[in-house]
Amino acid sequence: MTNQGYADARRPEAAAEAAGRSFGEKSSRYGGGLRSFLEEWTILILLLALLVLCSVFVDRFFEIGNLMNIARQISFLAIVALGEFFVILIAQMDMSIGWTIGLTSVLLAGLMSRNGVPMGVALVLVFGVAIVIGIINGLLSIVGKVPSFIATLVTMNVLMGLSYLYSRGIPISGLPRQLNYLGMGYLFSIPVPVYLMVLVTALCYVFTTHTELGRSFYAVGGNAEAAKLSGINVRFVGVLAFVISAVLATVGSIGLTAKTMAGTASLGGDMLFDVMTVVVLGGTSLYGGKGKVIGVVLAALLVGVISNAMVLIGINTYYQWIVKGAILISVVLIDVNSKKE
Amino acid sequence: MIEVRSAATAQAGTGTPLLEIRDLTVKFPGVVALDSVSFDLLPGECHALVGENGAGKSTLAKVIIGENQPASGRMFVEGHEVNLHSYSVRESQRLGFAIVHQEFQLIDEMTALENIFVGHYSKVGPFINRVALRRRAHELMELLGLEIDLSRPVKYLRTAEKQVVQLARAMALDAKIVILDELTAVLPESDIQAVFRLVRTLTERGIGVIYISHRLDEIFEICDRYTVLRDGHGIATANVRDLTKAKIVRMIAGRELTKVFPDIGSPGEEVLLETRALSSKAFRKVSLSVRKGEVVGIAGLVGAGKTELLHALFGNYPLTGGEILVRGKPVRIASPQAAIKHGLGLIPDERKRQGLNTMMDVRKNTTLPAMRDYKKALFFMDEKRELTAAYGILEQLQLRYRSLWQGVGKLSGGNQQKIVLAKWMLAHTDVFLMDEPTRGIDVGAKAEIYRLIAELTARGKAVVLVSPELEELLGLANRIYIMYEGKIKDMVEGDRKDQATIMTSLLGANE
Repeated sequence: MTNQGYADARRPEAAAEAAGRSFGEKSSRYGGGLRSFLEEWTILILLLALLVLCSVFVDRFFEIGNLMNIARQISFLAIVALGEFFVILIAQMDMSIGWTIGLTSVLLAGLMSRNGVPMGVALVLVFGVAIVIGIINGLLSIVGKVPSFIATLVTMNVLMGLSYLYSRGIPISGLPRQLNYLGMGYLFSIPVPVYLMVLVTALCYVFTTHTELGRSFYAVGGNAEAAKLSGINVRFVGVLAFVISAVLATVGSIGLTAKTMAGTASLGGDMLFDVMTVVVLGGTSLYGGKGKVIGVVLAALLVGVISNAMVLIGINTYYQWIVKGAILISVVLIDVNSKKE
Repeated sequence: MIEVRSAATAQAGTGTPLLEIRDLTVKFPGVVALDSVSFDLLPGECHALVGENGAGKSTLAKVIIGENQPASGRMFVEGHEVNLHSYSVRESQRLGFAIVHQEFQLIDEMTALENIFVGHYSKVGPFINRVALRRRAHELMELLGLEIDLSRPVKYLRTAEKQVVQLARAMALDAKIVILDELTAVLPESDIQAVFRLVRTLTERGIGVIYISHRLDEIFEICDRYTVLRDGHGIATANVRDLTKAKIVRMIAGRELTKVFPDIGSPGEEVLLETRALSSKAFRKVSLSVRKGEVVGIAGLVGAGKTELLHALFGNYPLTGGEILVRGKPVRIASPQAAIKHGLGLIPDERKRQGLNTMMDVRKNTTLPAMRDYKKALFFMDEKRELTAAYGILEQLQLRYRSLWQGVGKLSGGNQQKIVLAKWMLAHTDVFLMDEPTRGIDVGAKAEIYRLIAELTARGKAVVLVSPELEELLGLANRIYIMYEGKIKDMVEGDRKDQATIMTSLLGANE
């Protein structure tokens, strides 16, 4: 043991000498070499391969109009999936996002067209509702210790009921024209939702990799007991995950509502499946503690391209569901079985 | 019926070996776990298998029960060679080999009776014959000289009772060879005696027992022969009666351990931590004090409330009364966050479950409680400073690791424990609450942990040390509180610090 006091290690100048030395191989976790590169970037490689296939076999895939359409669709999917990502990261599950989208969509439309609330105020109110939904999900799952699968299944059902009650089962139209810009507009010939996705991705990336709170999510997901005994507020992190999930679902909801120019209860009703696929395909472990923001976004691109290609080739919707099912189960099989070292 | 070999013919050290292993080599990716090891077991013998962690004891046990495939070597069971290439767990069970671990392979929700016979129920047609099972179970219990409530789900049984159920299961399967893998590591002294009795019962009936333990005293007590493994090599096999403790320690470590415990200086005057009539579900009216530079030991049997006391001090176990004072001021510690703020740090007994995040790397584990010290501009982590700090502390603790980005899961127990210690050393901790800090780590790493404890106290830190090993408490602690059934029974220091005094209080004998 050196005679230098350990308290000095906290002071950068005292450890400057140490800084000059090597901290060890950064890539050693993956073993180094081509194989590790492939493992790390499987998704990107799959995506490139898929794009090559599409350019050969799918007519009209690379037409500007179609690419813009994919970009828009993927943006919404990626944003909502990034919300779910935080919940899966702490080894929980949020089943209610589809109907959080539904309720916030009809509320946004209803507030503006029925009650004449200005757009800005309506947006603030809708986010307020999202936060409340997230807190309820979080309190039930984390503080109440109801398995989140059940807790959010229940809130999902309640939200579904509320959405239909509020909208009386019909789409609410009559939205202000400028809202459409959020969904269908272009800035420098790139669809506006893409900017939204890039912004959300950047925030999530910085949050997870460079902040104390972001790292707490990995700590809680990897071992909640150890995290708690290291002084991390496990409950706060847990509830926050559900709040982020609901808020990002709402960002997606606003975009989708702006795109269709109507508040629709069933707007996100079939989205949960794609979102789960994206999160798991993106390398997030269902056991928690492992996952990357970039992986999720790349997975959204992959799923978006597959969906679009299937539509262009003219594959029946029912077959599409089966194909997506096969994708999700393959990915989960790999995740679950790669746990055994 | 239960087949029991006649006791008369079985005498330790005679007859054809039950098991003979010649030149066994086992390789794992990157390591030779066993290198040309030979071993034999006679009927009615208790054969100790000793060595540091990682010496190859468990690997050898796993080969014997068919869990590990050797690269080369031969194995004979009662003189007949076994084909090791097609050998499996199933085959070993057919031959009558059983292993009892300290981790249980019991089904928690099932009763003891069901656990004993699971997979081997005697049936009447398609139905389980409960009457026959019960009768057989009672015969087994009588044989083992114990009475356990067989109708209760095993999750309600005590650790020692669960081990008996596992042994009974081995007996029900008509075991010829029983491997006991560190059974006593988690047992209180009184139950250890029960294990000894069981071992004698087994050997009297001609069953061969392979006894794996870290506690050397036990080997002298019940074993006939011993085999020492070191770094995958067989060092020696001989009779226990020709052995001294110093000699076996030397063989295990491969070096002379001159002095295991470092000197702990005299404590200062200032009281860092004090409790007054602290109570909870697990303990009552606990009053103790911890001074600057002091090691305070807490001795007690399993279930005495030691672990709960440490967790309560750390805000992780609900209190029902009493107060905690830090540096003389009463404080409310309702969460680990609050405890950390008051300068407390917990080194939990279950390292992997409570101390580390095996999905995170070395650096992130090390800085976890002190993350907020490495921030810049409000939110962001200053990675450079964080890495530097982690590097500095880990170098001081002489951690053996490849990289700060390496996962902690595959480090040895001793190195993992150093990371848990490093966490609190970085987090401004004044009072280290250590719950069995040397559990499951080898002799060399233990000595390093002891030296670290001495270093901490020399710097004016204090340590509250809970340990099942009296020797450890006697060697390190300035004072030892003795807990019995949730109460502080006694406090010993100075001249009264001897094994006999403490044992008496531990067992509640001075009631």
